[in-house]
Amino acid sequence: MDGEDFGEEMSRRVQVRFVTKLNPPLKVPAASIAIPANLTRLGLSTVVNNLIQSGNPDWNQEPFDFLIDGELIRMSLEQFLLAKGISAEKILEIEYIRAVAPRKEEDASEHEDWVSAVDGSNARFILTGCYDGLGRVWDAPGSCSHILGGHSDAITSVSVVNQEGAESVCVATASKDRTLRLWKVHTEASLNSSVTIRAFKILRGHKASVQSVSASSAGDMICSGSWDCTINLWNTKELAADDNPVTVKKRKVNNQVEESQMEEEAVSTLVGHTQCVSSVIWPQPETIYSTSWDHSVRRWDVETGKDMLNIFCGKVLNCLDIGGEASALIAAGGSDPVLRIWDPRKPASSAPIFQFSSHASWISACKWHDKSWFHLLSASYDGKIMLWDLRTAWPLAVIDSHKDKVFCADWWRGDCVVSGGMDSKLRISSEIPIQ
Amino acid sequence: MGIPKIMSCRKRTWSPEKRALLVRVLIRMNLKMGILRTSRHWRSQNLERVTHKSTRYMGSVRTGNKGKSIIDNARIDDGGSEISESDQRAEESDSSEDEVPSRNTIGDVPLQWYRDEEHIGYDVKGKKIKKKERQDKLDAFLASADDSKNWRKINDEYNDEVVELTKDETRLIHRLLKGKAPHAGFDPYPDYVDFFKWDDAKHPLSNAPEPKRRFIPSKWEAKKVAKYARAIREGLIKLDKPKEEPRFYNLWGDDLNSKDRAGHLAYIPAPKPKLPGHEESYNPSLEYIPTQEEINSYQLMYEEDRPKFIPKRFTSLKSVPAYENAVNDSFERCMDLYMSYRAWKKRLNIDPESLKPKLPSRKDLKPYPVTCYLEYRGHEGAVVSISTEATGQWIASGSADGTVRIWEVETGRCRGVWTIGEPVQFVSWNPLSELPILAIAAGQDVLLLNTGLGNAEDQKKIKELLQVEISGTAGDSDEQPLVSWLQDDKHKHEAIRLRHFKTVTSVEWHRKGDYLSTVTPAGESRAILIHQLSKKVTQKIPFKLHGLPVSSVFHPSRSIFFVSTKKNVRVYDLLKQKLIKKLETGLREVSSIAIHPQGDNVIVGSREGKLCWFDMDLSSQPYKTLQCHSKDITNVAFHRSYPLFASCSDDCTAYVFHGMVYSDFNQNPLIVPLEILRGHASSNGRGVMDCKFHPRQPWLFTAGADSVVRLFCH
Repeated sequence: MDGEDFGEEMSRRVQVRFVTKLNPPLKVPAASIAIPANLTRLGLSTVVNNLIQSGNPDWNQEPFDFLIDGELIRMSLEQFLLAKGISAEKILEIEYIRAVAPRKEEDASEHEDWVSAVDGSNARFILTGCYDGLGRVWDAPGSCSHILGGHSDAITSVSVVNQEGAESVCVATASKDRTLRLWKVHTEASLNSSVTIRAFKILRGHKASVQSVSASSAGDMICSGSWDCTINLWNTKELAADDNPVTVKKRKVNNQVEESQMEEEAVSTLVGHTQCVSSVIWPQPETIYSTSWDHSVRRWDVETGKDMLNIFCGKVLNCLDIGGEASALIAAGGSDPVLRIWDPRKPASSAPIFQFSSHASWISACKWHDKSWFHLLSASYDGKIMLWDLRTAWPLAVIDSHKDKVFCADWWRGDCVVSGGMDSKLRISSEIPIQ
Repeated sequence: MGIPKIMSCRKRTWSPEKRALLVRVLIRMNLKMGILRTSRHWRSQNLERVTHKSTRYMGSVRTGNKGKSIIDNARIDDGGSEISESDQRAEESDSSEDEVPSRNTIGDVPLQWYRDEEHIGYDVKGKKIKKKERQDKLDAFLASADDSKNWRKINDEYNDEVVELTKDETRLIHRLLKGKAPHAGFDPYPDYVDFFKWDDAKHPLSNAPEPKRRFIPSKWEAKKVAKYARAIREGLIKLDKPKEEPRFYNLWGDDLNSKDRAGHLAYIPAPKPKLPGHEESYNPSLEYIPTQEEINSYQLMYEEDRPKFIPKRFTSLKSVPAYENAVNDSFERCMDLYMSYRAWKKRLNIDPESLKPKLPSRKDLKPYPVTCYLEYRGHEGAVVSISTEATGQWIASGSADGTVRIWEVETGRCRGVWTIGEPVQFVSWNPLSELPILAIAAGQDVLLLNTGLGNAEDQKKIKELLQVEISGTAGDSDEQPLVSWLQDDKHKHEAIRLRHFKTVTSVEWHRKGDYLSTVTPAGESRAILIHQLSKKVTQKIPFKLHGLPVSSVFHPSRSIFFVSTKKNVRVYDLLKQKLIKKLETGLREVSSIAIHPQGDNVIVGSREGKLCWFDMDLSSQPYKTLQCHSKDITNVAFHRSYPLFASCSDDCTAYVFHGMVYSDFNQNPLIVPLEILRGHASSNGRGVMDCKFHPRQPWLFTAGADSVVRLFCH
């Protein structure tokens, strides 16, 4: 590094070469350079920024993260090498990636009450559930396009079921009024004011408040976990006479005939949990994962209705997601500040392979990034959302935009984190570069 | 059965050739020649008989044990040369595969017949077996000296080959040398298998009369006695050896010797009087002699401080006068010995640490509530009472600001607020999860409130249940009613108002959710009432109360009812209508009581901060009394499934204990203090007002006077 002077020759220098998988404007020359060994991530980032700037004068500073042997550097280079037992004599290859942290905070979307659920799996809109019993569809930050009305109690969970045609999307909501409702959202009908729509199907069958809903990957079924300790499976498809819907229930309220609403019973019920099923997820067509207040994570076989795997955790679990390497890792959080990750492929071990414990209170949500094997987020009652990378034990970024408890969080469009909480706001933190 | 088995097993390992070899090994293993010679002699004596027997039994089934063993003996003692061909063939039938047939077939002839021949015999096909070239003696010796295994090599003359003994074979020889059975697996003392069926045998096995020798004196014994008597008479056996007296005894030995003390434990030697010193001499040195001033100063001293003896100088011993205080001194001495009390003081050598009870580590007793993660905020006055719903999804809290709130446990959201009007004293959920009815005690009323939880069917049932047809009286008709059952329509859900005539302090449900008991401390004979929800009936308990009642609890599984007054806890059987037990707390003022879910253990909290654990099977006295709080204990609680109990106090802390009750009656309950939960702020001198465990999780809810409900999780 010519021209660069790092002051005293007090610290040792190490020969490094920066490599990256990023695209050309972010690439630095492959020549090896000597840098002081006491540099931390910030120092390394400055070095790389200077290197890029030397080739491209109008370069804006950009934070980077650095990997040595697939592990993120979270201390000074010297300490890292010592801790990992890597020789400083050889030329060190440091891979750099763009630091995973939100660059921008979008406008908050105001709700009437606490935001209890959010789903960002559809890139065109964000679906939220609220304690006032209404679901909302947000086209963009601050603009609500649809209001899903009908639940008589707080919505606890929402899920985008499937894309029906070009502009219609089926979504499901679960509520404390013991029902689930299915809705059709027409995304193209973009109006200035929000449209209130009614559910096309009401799913009754749970004996207590429904806690969680998840759609199968195919989109023809949904499953729901409830306080009555069961998991119910439901059909989302309408009946055969779709064009001329069979009116199961027609109500006259205030001399106004409401839309037809079908009611339907559960297709099957998975029994086995002994306490409230707090979270379900249906990642593959034949398996459902669930967590419960009985301290267990279970994997269910949809065909037989039996639980194939039972991981005992010792704590009440509130949230669950499947993802990571080969979409097989289980991340779950609950009544303690530890986010745990299990690998169910490891035989006969119920010990988590990772434990992230930087939160200060219960963990209310956790989500894997659907493109990356390493990244996941967690939301907690301490009002923080943390972004995690499996390659380091420290959080990549802490989003501290909420004032009180965060109840739900999700990824949106691959580079945004959407979250809702007790401050009745939907927060969107965007421009998170995950390659 | 067992004997033939042993026989066959013995035979399997003993081919005649090997036996011959073994004998040779025995010789090499320094068996004395003499023994051999005698054995040979014995063999030559037996030879005829043996061969005779073997030929007699040849080919036939082996008839007896005895004859066979003799044959075996004979085979062990001599070489293979004596064993006849026929005998070998007879044994071939059950010989095992490890037996190698002999190469040489010359049969039972002396080997020396072939000494000068070039061959040693003939093989099976009749061909001559050539002798091996003899090694030079020197070479043989050198080879043997080099070979470490030489000691187990034997030259088999019969087959003209060198055989190396295996380890098993050497072990066998060792065993033989020791006189044990050759085979390790052989059990010389097998368990006797009784072939006779003794069951139901009416008669003795033998009808023979008792032999005479059983009842005539033994001649042999008489002989033996006579022999001893003769020996004693002749002085060969000496009886009563004289004891050896110690020649010297320790003249100067201390009286305090432990040896002496061992004989008479009670004796304690008197302290010895002071021995005379130099000053008592008739001619002491000058420095001992007091001056005249000193003698004058003695006069000013008190009687008891004054020296008893003033040294004086005399020219000779005979001029010393008699000691005038002699009688006095000895009298004093006697009085001292007589009056002063002497006793052995026992000193215990016990490490005080070892007296502490061995408690298990807190880590092993997890899970238990440790950290506060959730707070339920919203009340404006002190939260007086909390209650958890049966499923654990909801928690109700009653406050001094006159409201009752229902919270969602998971999120801390307030689900509903009911304004009662008067400060709430007590809230209690119906223990049935399908009947989410909340009983609220406020002022003189007990309100049975439909909380609106539960599904439509449950709601229908609850609404039916909470209808009062005859609004008004219950109980004795001629007197004034105990309680008036009123329909309350002030609240949006249906509710029943039970109007008592004095302030109600506590409400407890029966486990089946139909009965509830209320306590009105100032109610005298009507202090404790039991209400039945389904029939809308009230009755008073048919027992006389002794003192002011504090609270009442139903037994968790039987029809037993606990009533605690300020001093005692009385246990009544409701079916038999009688007092079962009275628990003496020894406390000044009982404030709260909780029953272990199994029903045999009771904890009682008191206003002086003490907690008593009663094991009702053990005694009516407390099994343990724990002084942990510095102020009044406001409530105590047991967990329904985990071995936990807790107490909360006005000193703003709640204590969590491990309270394990064992099903084994011999094992006392294990009580381990686990955690002090802090976090509540003091308000008007009150701290934590109530604590309740979550019904399913090891979590503790605490209600504080600072109007916050906290949830402590593990």
